[in-house]
Amino acid sequence: MLSMDRDARAAIREFVIDRLAPTSGRGDIGDEDDLIDSGVIDSLGIFQLVAFLEERFGIAIGDEEITPENFGSVMAIERLVAARSR
Amino acid sequence: MAYLLQQLLTESVHRHPDKPAVRARGRSLTYGELDLRSSQLARLLRERGIERGDRVGLFFPKAVESVVAMLGVLKAGAVYVPLDPHAPVRRVAAIAEDCGVRALITTGERLATLPARDLACTVLVSGEARGAEIPWSALETFPAAAPVESAIESDLAYILYTSGSTGQPKGVMLTHRNALTFVDWCATTFRIGPDDRLSNHAPLHFDLSVFDVYNTLAAGATVSLIHEEITVFPQRLAALMEDHGITVWYSVPSALVYLLLHGDLAARDLERLRLILFAGEVFPMKYLRQLADLLPRAELYNLYGPTETNVCTYHRVDRWKLVGQDRLPIGRACANTEVVALDEAGRPVPPGGTGELFVRGPSVTPGYWGDAEKSRRALVDDPRPPQRGERLYRTGDLVTPDEHGEYLFLGRRDSQVKSRGYRIELGDVEAALYAHPAVIEAAVVAVPDPDVGSRLRAFVALRAGETVTGAALQTHCAARVPRYMVPERIEVRTELPRTSTGKTDRTRLAADARLMEAA
Repeated sequence: MLSMDRDARAAIREFVIDRLAPTSGRGDIGDEDDLIDSGVIDSLGIFQLVAFLEERFGIAIGDEEITPENFGSVMAIERLVAARSR
Repeated sequence: MAYLLQQLLTESVHRHPDKPAVRARGRSLTYGELDLRSSQLARLLRERGIERGDRVGLFFPKAVESVVAMLGVLKAGAVYVPLDPHAPVRRVAAIAEDCGVRALITTGERLATLPARDLACTVLVSGEARGAEIPWSALETFPAAAPVESAIESDLAYILYTSGSTGQPKGVMLTHRNALTFVDWCATTFRIGPDDRLSNHAPLHFDLSVFDVYNTLAAGATVSLIHEEITVFPQRLAALMEDHGITVWYSVPSALVYLLLHGDLAARDLERLRLILFAGEVFPMKYLRQLADLLPRAELYNLYGPTETNVCTYHRVDRWKLVGQDRLPIGRACANTEVVALDEAGRPVPPGGTGELFVRGPSVTPGYWGDAEKSRRALVDDPRPPQRGERLYRTGDLVTPDEHGEYLFLGRRDSQVKSRGYRIELGDVEAALYAHPAVIEAAVVAVPDPDVGSRLRAFVALRAGETVTGAALQTHCAARVPRYMVPERIEVRTELPRTSTGKTDRTRLAADARLMEAA
């Protein structure tokens, strides 16, 4: 399980850093760094991210799950993905 | 009759001193508090040497202090310049430099990101004040009476910066009279009253916010400033609309589409929402019909107007006609405003013809800050008889008038585009790309998108031997232009296609970009 979690985190990190962070002007992002106040995730980026997660992990994320608690950091996103994959 | 924006507050304070005027981030300020704090801020600014006409930058995320700051600056006779708290520092610094900001109202955190500037004073709304910085709490020590009013209606109230085609943002100057003309028209048209609760979705550096803030003050209503982070989460945003009992909503269409598609509006009690206004871009008819069905009691209005004129035309949506309509008119001129479509020779275009829309009236900007040349090009002498030298603002928008005096928007006559309601000069984005040493050629195209208006795609060619990725170029752009101007995809090519005359073939690139989308 642990190795799967690590893969998931790496994939999420990669998407956040390669696809979302550049347009916010942020460079390095730690697993627990805030993604919302910093502008890494904005109203367009959030749906790119959701689409990516749904495809990559074969899960469905409802609009009601799109909250700051679930998307506030790479760790939070990973927890959401883990919970939905079970 | 108010001739200065801050005078809109006078009657409301008198009538309801204890009523909440502003709500933001779980806090609120009553009319009495707003009046007191803004007067104290004005005294502070005056004491620190801020004089009539001086520019004061407002650089912090939305908070109840935002409105205190706007009014405080105006009561000091000065001019406020809202700075995008999410824009790259270098752009913010360039704007502060361009208009010669003499004072800054900001947070400790934001201040630390800016290059040092010689300022008459720096007031911190939060964070620890160091050295000469003045903490917000110091306001209490200043007298409660505002300085004596010396400004007149043609003095500047605020400057709003928009994208400029050469990479330098341009500052649209707006006077008290410009803004009041708009607010007066709104008061009559929308009958905003003390029981209304307005939302403020747009950022404060965006002119839609002028509606939210000043109509609230004029009516003695309450405005909820929606902070930037909430706008990311559609269901939170919908919950806020219900919890705050919003009655009047004004935003760009893409924000409404976003709420419609992801906000689960049907689960919310939005019975109080009586008025929905939108502006800034074309509302896709498919979504407008859905929104109208979902909110059967709300009146819907399409408003139109660039920052230079604020709203100059409006169209009330006719629910019964929506089914057969393929596009929404931008409508007819607001009160005390004239709009006219002129052909290339400066002659009014008959119904059904195509012309550029020109605007005349007291809501029209006196020009761009520090750029007489740009101002001259945008504000032209009225070519129609009797030619008494009155100026028209040329919008750059192509329109067609119909037989009822309503206008339809057709497109732009230049390379300005709209994305999520933001106005973007493609040349501004290209200038950011050219600032990268490896880039020898850059072209930015806008791909139409039903949800956000358009999405930016860039194509670049690099100097021989250079290897830079699209992602790296995005990072580069993100340090120079606001996020909504960073191309979502940047494709690196060995060379860009050319037309027979040797120019970059933008038509071809736009087609390529659409193909990339479809793939």
